[in-house]
Amino acid sequence: MGTQEASSPRPGQHEKVLSLRGLELAFGPNKVLRGFDLDLYRGENVMVLGKSGSGKSVLIKCIVRLLMPTGGSIEVLGQDVLALGQEELDHLRVKVGFLFQSSALYDSMTVEENLRFPLRRHWLATTSGEADGLVDEMLSAVGLAHTRKLFPSELSGGMKRRVALARTLILKPEIVLYDEPTTGLDPITGKEIVELILKLQRSYGTSSIIISHDLHVARMAANRIALLHEGRKYAEGTYDEFRSSQDPLIQNFFIFM
Amino acid sequence: MNGSAQRPIKVFLTEAGGFSLFVSRFFQNAFHPRFEWREFIRQSVQNGNGSLPLVAVTAFIMGLVLTVQSRPTLARFGAESMLPAMVAISMVREIVPVITALICAGKIASGMSAELGSMKVTEQIDAMEVSGTNPFRYLAVTRIWSTTLMVPLLVILADGIAIWASWVGMNMKGPVSWQLFQRQVFDSLALGDVLPALIKSIFFGFVVGAIGCFKGFTTAKGTEGVGRSAHNAVVYSSLLIFIIDLLAVQITELMGLN
Ligand SMILES: Nc1ncnc2c1ncn2[C@@H]1O[C@H](COP(=O)(O)OP(=O)(O)O)[C@@H](O)[C@H]1O
Ligand SMILES: [Mg+2]
Repeated sequence: MGTQEASSPRPGQHEKVLSLRGLELAFGPNKVLRGFDLDLYRGENVMVLGKSGSGKSVLIKCIVRLLMPTGGSIEVLGQDVLALGQEELDHLRVKVGFLFQSSALYDSMTVEENLRFPLRRHWLATTSGEADGLVDEMLSAVGLAHTRKLFPSELSGGMKRRVALARTLILKPEIVLYDEPTTGLDPITGKEIVELILKLQRSYGTSSIIISHDLHVARMAANRIALLHEGRKYAEGTYDEFRSSQDPLIQNFFIFM
Repeated sequence: MNGSAQRPIKVFLTEAGGFSLFVSRFFQNAFHPRFEWREFIRQSVQNGNGSLPLVAVTAFIMGLVLTVQSRPTLARFGAESMLPAMVAISMVREIVPVITALICAGKIASGMSAELGSMKVTEQIDAMEVSGTNPFRYLAVTRIWSTTLMVPLLVILADGIAIWASWVGMNMKGPVSWQLFQRQVFDSLALGDVLPALIKSIFFGFVVGAIGCFKGFTTAKGTEGVGRSAHNAVVYSSLLIFIIDLLAVQITELMGLN
């Protein structure tokens, strides 16, 4: 499938919203990505599995150009991400949400101000009333309407992750990148977060890339899994295919299952 | 032997190079039409209020102590009547600007670098970037402008407090009229004393903000990195304050203002 098709998308399942080709990134002599390929279709959840330090965060940071790859190409919603100017990049970033591993809530702002922050962009021209409505909608969607006036330091880890999720989804992105959404949470809270992600995904119709080393997340949420190993896509398949695989590298991830 | 001598030089060169780039990036963004006024005002109020008590107390004590301690010396030369002028000139020209700037280096520069450093480490700066707000403009430009404004304002205020404290010190050896004291002070202070000190203070303020933000933005991963940045911010900004002070005295000398 050539990349030209992405600019004239076909409807339904086979519309490609994101495509990575031969992605390379090195920090000095440390070659983290060495030609990684991935496609994401509309409405789909792809999970990128990899052990700690394998370059999963680096990979999705390239997609929103928080990091500049040293080689390869990235196409998102028909646009060549690496060729965009700052203004166009900012417009594209509205459509690509990012949930950070550490939640990354602004400590000096209340929950409400955190949610309003992405709405500040001048061209969105949201009125104060509209912004209020959106904040209410998102906070109720994650079940935290009562925390509006609280500061992040007053929230538990699970609540922070929910607020971060609300902040990510407030701009109604078409694609969401989740960086280890359950890491650092207890299993019960982790499960709640995944269920919340799935619920919100159904109501807002997003496509997503979920980064994790946790196969429970894969079982619950992923339509497809790509295994990142030594900077390349080592294997790709469904959860069941991975489960029944004889490859020791894949089996390693099932140790705690 | 050779290696251990090279390391500090290498560190100095990378830090100096990094800081120069940071400063030039500031000037590229400093006059951008979309200025973040709210954050600028919030920072100015916070930094001004935070440093005010310590600056005020220090200025009061310095003014008082210098007056009381200089009196016997001046008296030995029969120049006791010069006391108000001498104290006022040394306070306004040198002591108040430098002490105020050093207090701000200790309070503001370290606070900024710790705050921005922990924002960097916890990905808050990345989050800002992907939500379409330029973090450099939002966080650094506003902070640097705010210290550039607030440090000179604090210096002016501290000047007033130090001069008043000097009058309090004069009164300890018998009453002196405030009118008379004030006239002696203002007769002795020339524009050549006040203006260079103010210009110097603007540079001090710039250094405090710029070093605080530079160390914050370049913080290495981990909580240890945040602590090290805050420490370095104080050391570097204090050093730069002394260097600027040294240059300022040369420049005023050349301009014949001494
Ligand atoms: N900003 C950076 N500078 C230098 N090296 C980095 C940077 N970010 C990540 N790395 C390196 O890239 C590798 C992958 O990191 P990361 O993507 O965070 O791993 P993970 O898969 O756990 O998310 C690690 O070896 C890390 O040290
Ligand atoms: Mg990671």
